[in-house]
Amino acid sequence: MKKLVLASLALGLMSGAALAETIKIGVVGPFSGPAALQGRNFQAGIDAWLAMNGSTVAGHDIEIVYRDLPAADPAQSAALTQDLVVGEGVHYLAGYYYTPDAMAAAPILEEANVPMVIFNAATSAIVNASPYVVRTSFTTWQTSTPMATVARERGIDKVITVVTDYGPGVDSENAFVAGFTGAGGNIVESIRMPMNTNDFSPIMQRVKDSGAEAVFAFLPAGPATLGFMQAYVENGLKDAGVTLLAPGDLTQEPDLAALGDNALGVLTTFHYAVSHDSPENQAFVAAASKAIGNPADLSFPAVGAFDGMYVISKMIEATGGNQDAKAAVEAVKGLAWTSPRGPVSINPENRHLTQNIYLREVAKVDGHYINQEIQTFENQGDPGWKAP
Amino acid sequence: MTGFPVSAATTPNLWQRSARADAIAVLVVAATALVLFLLFPQSLALLTRIVAIMLLVLSLDLVTGYSGVATLGHATVFGAGAYAAGILAARFGVADPLLMLAIGALAGALAGGVSSLVILRGHGLGQLVLSIAIVQLAHEMANKFSSWTGGSDGLSGIMPSPLFGLFRFDLWGRTGYWLAVALLIIVFLVLRAVVRSPFGMLCRGIKQDPVRVRAMGAPVYFTLVKMYAIAGAVAGLGGALSAISTKVVGLDSLSFSLSAEALVMLVLGGTGKIFGAMLGTIVFVWFEDIVSAINPFHWLTIVGVLLVVVVLFAPKGLVGAIESVVSRMRGRKT
Repeated sequence: MKKLVLASLALGLMSGAALAETIKIGVVGPFSGPAALQGRNFQAGIDAWLAMNGSTVAGHDIEIVYRDLPAADPAQSAALTQDLVVGEGVHYLAGYYYTPDAMAAAPILEEANVPMVIFNAATSAIVNASPYVVRTSFTTWQTSTPMATVARERGIDKVITVVTDYGPGVDSENAFVAGFTGAGGNIVESIRMPMNTNDFSPIMQRVKDSGAEAVFAFLPAGPATLGFMQAYVENGLKDAGVTLLAPGDLTQEPDLAALGDNALGVLTTFHYAVSHDSPENQAFVAAASKAIGNPADLSFPAVGAFDGMYVISKMIEATGGNQDAKAAVEAVKGLAWTSPRGPVSINPENRHLTQNIYLREVAKVDGHYINQEIQTFENQGDPGWKAP
Repeated sequence: MTGFPVSAATTPNLWQRSARADAIAVLVVAATALVLFLLFPQSLALLTRIVAIMLLVLSLDLVTGYSGVATLGHATVFGAGAYAAGILAARFGVADPLLMLAIGALAGALAGGVSSLVILRGHGLGQLVLSIAIVQLAHEMANKFSSWTGGSDGLSGIMPSPLFGLFRFDLWGRTGYWLAVALLIIVFLVLRAVVRSPFGMLCRGIKQDPVRVRAMGAPVYFTLVKMYAIAGAVAGLGGALSAISTKVVGLDSLSFSLSAEALVMLVLGGTGKIFGAMLGTIVFVWFEDIVSAINPFHWLTIVGVLLVVVVLFAPKGLVGAIESVVSRMRGRKT
């Protein structure tokens, strides 16, 4: 009889533990198609966080629900997000690689009472789309602006800008031009390349003809960056001493092996390098490499996802597992911690990360190409953000 | 057509029969819509999206299936409707959903008519290339005029006001869904009438033998332009519906890939059949949604296998396969 009571007590306890509600996190990202690598980095960042911190927060089990969005497709993003909220009943939304996708999902948040943590999408204005948006990545303005200072410090006077003609490219151009002319430099020409440009030789010729000392370039990470770098070398610009300056999208780690010696010495500014030297980053890289399988595939979206998971865990702790988007977002405003990328904090005004931006140089260390950090711009906010 | 006294004599009978068929078809569509509404109350956004794409595929069926125009750029008219409705709401603050639909249809018809003037100049492969060029041009234009269209960030800030001032477009998407179903039924009835009309017959004639139709003295070029404008209005409605229900318009609505996907759905369902366009869209989008939710990492492979299987075993599309099965069973009975 006693045993029976004990057994039923134990059962009761167990079911009590199971009653603590499972917290569902819906993650939207490119898990197939040309950008699948970035989606896998989302997954690696999430898995790394779960491996290091366990899958229970404040007594609640965490469940991740993935939805695939291979390319920027706002209508599909809105439909997937709605389905995650209404169909799956997720408590948090996360991920979002492309700006239009995040923009499309934002209007749903307020009615759904669900906070959204953006792991990547990098246009400044997204945080204005809803008060429930928090971002743990970067903005193109944030990563491009310090490059203007670098160029001036190195005595560069005349720069030509070359960017892909779409939102982030135009942002990048504006950020650099504003910073560079503000510091007394001259922009000799600004070229905007159509989205699907593959042959960069004519562009390199224009760079050569412009007589600029340096070229500032922005292209979205992918196959095109490879062609761009090759054209830069083959058209003799590297030998002619025309410096290449770019935000880190151009030299993300998975591309470095393919770029090879062509990229050596290229200067980029970015928020995260896989080679960043800190104990936090070592632990993160070890866990994330295990999650992604091939360590060479590890790239910046993983750290956005890793920090995003940290922010969500703080939101869960603050709300005790209750569905209260407002309280959750309030709780993380001003939150500061040490991320694998360095010290970061959430600006309470625009819910975007204030973080260090690093100047890096592509170098060969122990036979591997890495982005070696050589200078730090501390506590950079988002210069592109305007209050709504 | 005065040249066909025989068909003129049987017309009343034919109209009566087809009116009955129409009534049954509408009931089937409405019943399906109700069943889906009750079975999947959580997937109404997806269902609404299916209807919006269905309108695009129906429109493509009009020009490709019925009139024989080869196009891989049909998203042009869909996107024109979506952007027209979206810009009206986001930039001019006209947020009445019915007005947005009307503007979407108008813009679609205009885009269809104008783009057809160019596309119809070519034939066969040339026509395909022209259609791709047009959708790329439209895409690039929408990218360039970013102060109007939002460029690659997408056009956001579309806040449609409640339908008839009563039904809000809420998170659950009920209003959007029933608006979509009503729209689909109206379009369905209009299109049945159009494809059965002498004008629709003329289009089919042009598909089979344009030289002969011209020899009969009927205008080939302007008949097709007219058909293109009608098709444009249908796809434009779809675009506007998508803008209303998702509250955002992106450059993908003017993309080559959407155009190609629409063609795949049409082939899947069966070309030259209104039900084919509708069934193809449902099966394709739904299958895609289910498979991608089950395995978000390798789902495209499974979709590819489905397409290969359908093309191999049902070359006339799903509706064609169903029809042949039905007729075989009837043949056995009699």
